[in-house]
Amino acid sequence: MPDFTRAPLSQPGWQHWPGCLFALAIVLLTISGAGALFWQAPALDIGDLWASRYLRSVVLFTLWQAFLSVSISVLLALPIARALDRHRNFVGRALLLRLMELSLVVPTIVAVSGLVSMYGRQGWLTVAIQEWLPSMSWNLYGLNGIVLAHVFFNAPLAARILLQALESAPSSQRRIASQLGLGSLWLWRSLEWPSIRPVLPGIVALVFTLCFTSFAIVMTLGGGPATSTIEVAIYQALRFEFDAGRAALLALIQLLICGSLWWLVLRKGLNTALVPDRQLFISHARPDAQGVRKLLDSALLAAFVLFLTLPLLAVLARGLPGLADALMPSGFTNQGLQLLKATALSLGIALPAGVVSVVASLLILGAKPGNTNTPISRLLETSAYLPLIIPPLVLATGLFLLLRPKLGIASEGLALVALINAMMALPFVMQLLRGPLRNLDPSSIRLADQLGIRGWYRWRWLHWPRLRRPLALGLAYGTGLSLGDFGVIALFGSPGNPTLPVLLYQQLGSYQINAAAGTGLWLMMVLLALFGLFNLVGRPPIKSQGLQAPKPNQLETSDA
Amino acid sequence: MHLPAARLLLALLLPLTATAQAASELTVYTYPSFASDWGPGPAVEAAFEQQCSCQVNFVVLESSGDILQRLRLEGDSSEADVVLGLDTGTMDTARKTGLLAAHQIDTSSLNLPIDWADDLFVPFDWGYFAFVYDTEQLPNPPASLEELIAAPDDLKIIIQDPRTSTPGLGLLLWLRHVYGDQAPEKWTQLKDKILTTTKSWSDGYFSLFMNGEAPMILSYSTSPAYHMAIDKTDRYQAANFAEGHYLQVEVAALVDSSEQKELGREFLQFMLTDGFQRHIPLKNVMYPAINLGPELPDVFNKLITPSETRYFEPAEVAENRRAWLDEWLNAMTR
Repeated sequence: MPDFTRAPLSQPGWQHWPGCLFALAIVLLTISGAGALFWQAPALDIGDLWASRYLRSVVLFTLWQAFLSVSISVLLALPIARALDRHRNFVGRALLLRLMELSLVVPTIVAVSGLVSMYGRQGWLTVAIQEWLPSMSWNLYGLNGIVLAHVFFNAPLAARILLQALESAPSSQRRIASQLGLGSLWLWRSLEWPSIRPVLPGIVALVFTLCFTSFAIVMTLGGGPATSTIEVAIYQALRFEFDAGRAALLALIQLLICGSLWWLVLRKGLNTALVPDRQLFISHARPDAQGVRKLLDSALLAAFVLFLTLPLLAVLARGLPGLADALMPSGFTNQGLQLLKATALSLGIALPAGVVSVVASLLILGAKPGNTNTPISRLLETSAYLPLIIPPLVLATGLFLLLRPKLGIASEGLALVALINAMMALPFVMQLLRGPLRNLDPSSIRLADQLGIRGWYRWRWLHWPRLRRPLALGLAYGTGLSLGDFGVIALFGSPGNPTLPVLLYQQLGSYQINAAAGTGLWLMMVLLALFGLFNLVGRPPIKSQGLQAPKPNQLETSDA
Repeated sequence: MHLPAARLLLALLLPLTATAQAASELTVYTYPSFASDWGPGPAVEAAFEQQCSCQVNFVVLESSGDILQRLRLEGDSSEADVVLGLDTGTMDTARKTGLLAAHQIDTSSLNLPIDWADDLFVPFDWGYFAFVYDTEQLPNPPASLEELIAAPDDLKIIIQDPRTSTPGLGLLLWLRHVYGDQAPEKWTQLKDKILTTTKSWSDGYFSLFMNGEAPMILSYSTSPAYHMAIDKTDRYQAANFAEGHYLQVEVAALVDSSEQKELGREFLQFMLTDGFQRHIPLKNVMYPAINLGPELPDVFNKLITPSETRYFEPAEVAENRRAWLDEWLNAMTR
């Protein structure tokens, strides 16, 4: 025994079971959530529902706007991500990345207000266009506005994940490409495409689902009921008509459409991530980052920065007076204190939610043995996307029915909110972690196997150096999504102390328009700080790396 | 609503400790703006706690609809003693749940535009739906629904969706009450003036109206009171429509499963006193349910006085809502 000590957590079961259990729990929760609704109202006529002209038009419209939003988001994200990958050292790049991360988690009501003050009828841009190009007519409300808002929310997300994938391209290949002076097209074929191909289907499915289930945006900017989504119909059925069966059925339609997309994507997407990733991201000069290309990239990035920041600046401009009032010494006793208390409570829920979502993602991703593509392993991954597809209202209502005996009071209720938030963040976090976790090349794995690096040590020395940045980003997303959540906490009821988003809605409901704008800005700043902080945590200590983390480098050099 | 097996399973899996309710705690389900620091909640709570030597706990749910939803989901094991924040649009559905108890209190002090006699629901405030307009963008607003409907299409208004929002439903009922079976036709004519139909009042008011996107938004006739009294501006006013305005009455009720019905009744009775009602005008921005006399803030005398009160009995609303909504949907998506 003394000459053979087992590494902690090196039992094969440790890699497999926790993730499977997590996945199973999610599937069970989702099924029971939706099932509880069906149970309530067994008499259903599917044919009747499908025969409704209105419903059919809603489904078609939902598909159409989601298709447009995805196409434009991804087509915009691709060149942005490439440009950001080509230029790694310009001023403000770090801030731009944080803003890109921010766009997804900013509460919609705040972001929509920003978009409206840019592109609305009285928006800066609209007014400017009318001034310079009177013949051009632009109307935000309708399909225009819906797609614009969806691109605003999702293109940065897509670009961020793509950039993450591009940065994980093997540095040996980068070095060779750099030495050979490969042109843009060749780089694309040899370096970029192989790195983004594994994540692209997932991104498409993710953005599609987000747009498909979008609700407040579609209603606010859509113009009228002709531009509804299925989610609106679900809300109506559940909230106003107490028609649980209809709600569950509509949720099922949504589940079928989005679920089958995920199923397809995961089937296609899983086996492709075999590009070797031997080393941490180290900056290599890109041969195609000069000349005309540089100009084009600059122009593209500048346009993107404007697209992203102008609405956020509008939020800033609008929120400053209110925030100043709250944080002034004179008003601090009330408003400011409340803001800080709400911030503390929000963080108290969001940080654990972020941690749980990251841990669960790792376990679920880790539970899939090797690269096999059995139905079980696909189910395992699909499970993590269920929370995204099942409308939160259906899930939460169902869960409420099940868990109801005693809920909604103080800490238990808040713990449940954190747990559901964590579940909601899973799809995003998994999307961030999948690439880096899968991109481990076979020879590193073989080597680690030969050296007997297992269990904890395997995580520590093989995965951690590659996962450090994605993990930090995943944690930031998980925390940020929970921080901005309003739906779940509102459904379970918040006794006494509000979280930041609840505070925002309380202020809105009490005509505290300025204070609400201030709270919105504050929430955005907290999110920004959070992303900045996690980014610092996730940054590998590049200079002293050889000293601090010898093992991965040994793996690297022994093979070279 | 009955899932004994599943519940048992989850009760075993998730042993959430039952928090027993202390004898002198009154749990009130309400909506966010009521319980917020700017709403009447804290002041009302303090005033009642002084007289009852009990503790009032507000449980905040997302909206008026959610209070009812939550009550239904919880059935007869609800923690609520009192629900506060239902309205005339949801009243009948709430009544049919059979989960509420008779209030048995004296409601003679009520001061509403309609006669009120209901054994379950006690009004705590009321208001008229109205279009609030920005006097700087629109110095001469339409003087009637008819004028609004006939206005040129470049007059834009923001409304809320009747499927998701209380004022939205209010407008639907308003048009229905004024035009009867002609309502769908009128909606078709109104359609091109509707800039957008938001999910909630907040979405429209905050994101759009206050950004100057449209000069008119569906809101309450009392909204200007807040702007005048607190924001100190006369810029936002309600348009007085010749056909009269639709009435909303907000109500509270006693929950049948409550173990403290006496305390609950005491609260409901307290609701109809100055101690509660004086916080309504500026904190809930609605009319108080009793005559406050000189305590009514001056700005309330500057508000519009509708020539006629439009109002459907809650039972009639419940009976027809689905059909009227479908009618509306058809008119709007044609």
